[in-house]
Amino acid sequence: MLPGDSPPTTRRIIHIDMDAFYASVEQRDDPDLRGRAVAVGRGEGRGVVAAASYEARRFGVRSAMPSRTALRHCPDLVFVPPRFDVYRAVSRQIHAVFARYTALIQPLSLDEASLDVSGTYRDYGSATQVARLIRAAIFEETGLTASAGISYNRFLAKLASDHRKPNGQFVITPQMGPGFAAALRVEQFHGIGPATRARMNALGIFTGADLRDAPIDVLKRHFGKAAAFYAAIARGIDDRPVVADTVRKSLGTETTFERDLSDWNEARNVLEDLCAKLWRLRTARAISGRTLVLKIKYADFRSVTRTRSESRAIATEEMMRDQALVLLRMFFPLDRPIRLMGVTLTGLEGNSGENLAQMTLFDDSTC
Amino acid sequence: MKFQADRTTLIRALAHIQSVAEKRNTIPILANVMLSIEGNLLRLTATDMEIAVVEEVAAEGSRDGAVTAPASVLYEIVRKLPDGSVVELDHGGGDAPLALRAGRYATSLNVLPVEDFPSMVAGELPHGFSIPAPVLRGLVDRTRFAISTEETRYYLNGIYVHVAKDGDLPMLRAVATDGHRLARVETDLPAGASDIPGVIIPRKTVAELRKLLDEGAGAVEVGLSDTRIQFRVGAVMLTSKLIDGTFPEYERVIPKNNDRFLRVNKQAFADAVARVAAISQERSRPVKLAVQPNLLTLSAISPDQGMAKEELDETSVSYDGPSLEIGFQARYLNDITDQIDVEAEFVFADSAAPTLVRDTNAPSALYVLMPMRV
Repeated sequence: MLPGDSPPTTRRIIHIDMDAFYASVEQRDDPDLRGRAVAVGRGEGRGVVAAASYEARRFGVRSAMPSRTALRHCPDLVFVPPRFDVYRAVSRQIHAVFARYTALIQPLSLDEASLDVSGTYRDYGSATQVARLIRAAIFEETGLTASAGISYNRFLAKLASDHRKPNGQFVITPQMGPGFAAALRVEQFHGIGPATRARMNALGIFTGADLRDAPIDVLKRHFGKAAAFYAAIARGIDDRPVVADTVRKSLGTETTFERDLSDWNEARNVLEDLCAKLWRLRTARAISGRTLVLKIKYADFRSVTRTRSESRAIATEEMMRDQALVLLRMFFPLDRPIRLMGVTLTGLEGNSGENLAQMTLFDDSTC
Repeated sequence: MKFQADRTTLIRALAHIQSVAEKRNTIPILANVMLSIEGNLLRLTATDMEIAVVEEVAAEGSRDGAVTAPASVLYEIVRKLPDGSVVELDHGGGDAPLALRAGRYATSLNVLPVEDFPSMVAGELPHGFSIPAPVLRGLVDRTRFAISTEETRYYLNGIYVHVAKDGDLPMLRAVATDGHRLARVETDLPAGASDIPGVIIPRKTVAELRKLLDEGAGAVEVGLSDTRIQFRVGAVMLTSKLIDGTFPEYERVIPKNNDRFLRVNKQAFADAVARVAAISQERSRPVKLAVQPNLLTLSAISPDQGMAKEELDETSVSYDGPSLEIGFQARYLNDITDQIDVEAEFVFADSAAPTLVRDTNAPSALYVLMPMRV
């Protein structure tokens, strides 16, 4: 800021969230699916719903719901396998739309992003108008609808985007913000998960208003450093900036078994498959990393991770597999069966995260 | 075995040979060079089982025979001898050490049995042609920078050499790509090359070959089968296995309809890229090119260091298309401009599509560069 400039004014943040994204893409591309209850995911075994169309949601089908449960709610549910290549391509189209209005874009997933339009909204009249233009352009160019939330920080913008879903938008003004925050249940705040919620509930804190009125020293005693963030967010204050191009920190894959495993050979086979898949993922993204993390979730849902770092990036698929097997051996003999196994590559280095921006000449399939 | 050779002859041959010898020492004898003398002909051989280099030089033999000794040690010793020295190598046979004498210097080196030294057989090489060393050098230099180092894509770890039609005319073509950029260079088809199979020459072979091409301006004799390639450059014979893989259908990724032509002075451009990219700490060092009529603005942003910008105007740039912004890795730009003589021509489609680059003086070379999202 230069001398003579006015003090920093209220930010203008837009949160864009595609409506039932994966399911909508499937319905767009296959007319037979339109108007039907559609779930993206695997219908058999232990599959879960990755996304549900609005028709399916009416029956109570939700994403992350086990497929069996979903079918109980909605026996006519149609499962379609996910096509992530297509979702990624659409995601790129959407990002191209965002980029016309601001450079400050923080993607949160393929179908969600926060945009800071503080510097550019005046050209279009208002941030509300920018959101309208973006949603219209998305519909025009992809045939898909998006909802938007407009507010003065990221947390409230995201909250607002849920308010008129699907295909709508909503503004939370600085006057409305504190009231909105006060009315929320604590678990609706960013960063408050089941464990923190339980501890807050034990202190008699159930809503944003309770949290706002709680003495800061009490919060500090119970939540340490996070106390200041909670106190602020309960007042509708969230200073987190929109950070463009978050660099990837890890890359992983995991699988839940059809039935729980306890045999070494079976576990080894699964792990080798996971390593092969992880190797393909890292190759496709030109990422290299030197740390491998093996995660095991037991039948009782307790999960344990084991980590191993090399001094240099893991250079071959064999190295990755050998390292993973060393980690797996640490879990044997098992004292109870395993439900899920996952491998993650971290300690990404040099040409890793940043190279995601480098586009490639050939599709992964041919080269 | 016993002979004398002058230091200059010996050091030149060892320089060609010693980098082929295996340094990782998984099989000890691969770290050795085989010396064999027959009359006045000294033959030096090194191999890593993928590549073998044999060089024949003149020496003054006094007892025929052969021995193997550590290549890098021998090279270091001979290198440190004074200019003009005459080196005598004397091996009594069996396990006896190899004695090396030059003036008042003397050393003895441990040897390994010649019978254990692996021979790399070229087998039958049904194809053969001759190509001038400077032409071969041009093919190698303008493609090798794009060779992939990603071991999982082994079929990209070399230069793909094959016959391709350019219009009606068959040409000898060299192509390399790492999936981000591609270099394609062609030359008139040498006599005898019209039926050669498409082959992928491994990166290490390319590097060894390139060293040999430094000196000669003569012809290089190339022999070829589906699995082996052999180059004879002067007194040196380089034999190599080929990469057993399928090179991708690269023609698909060479854009045909790009229509925004930017011409820029190579030196001004390369210098500006280097200056602007200096601010970036990332390895990929993205540089953004903003192209407007007769104005090219290069810029780079570093979240920690700030930003840098440089403008090139009509004194070094010509462009009359619509405005365009596009990002590339600085290193990729410099790798290409290093191959360009005076003026580079960029042909763009848009900021997310492959860009074509040419040397306006050398239409036989063509480069494709994939942008970065910036």
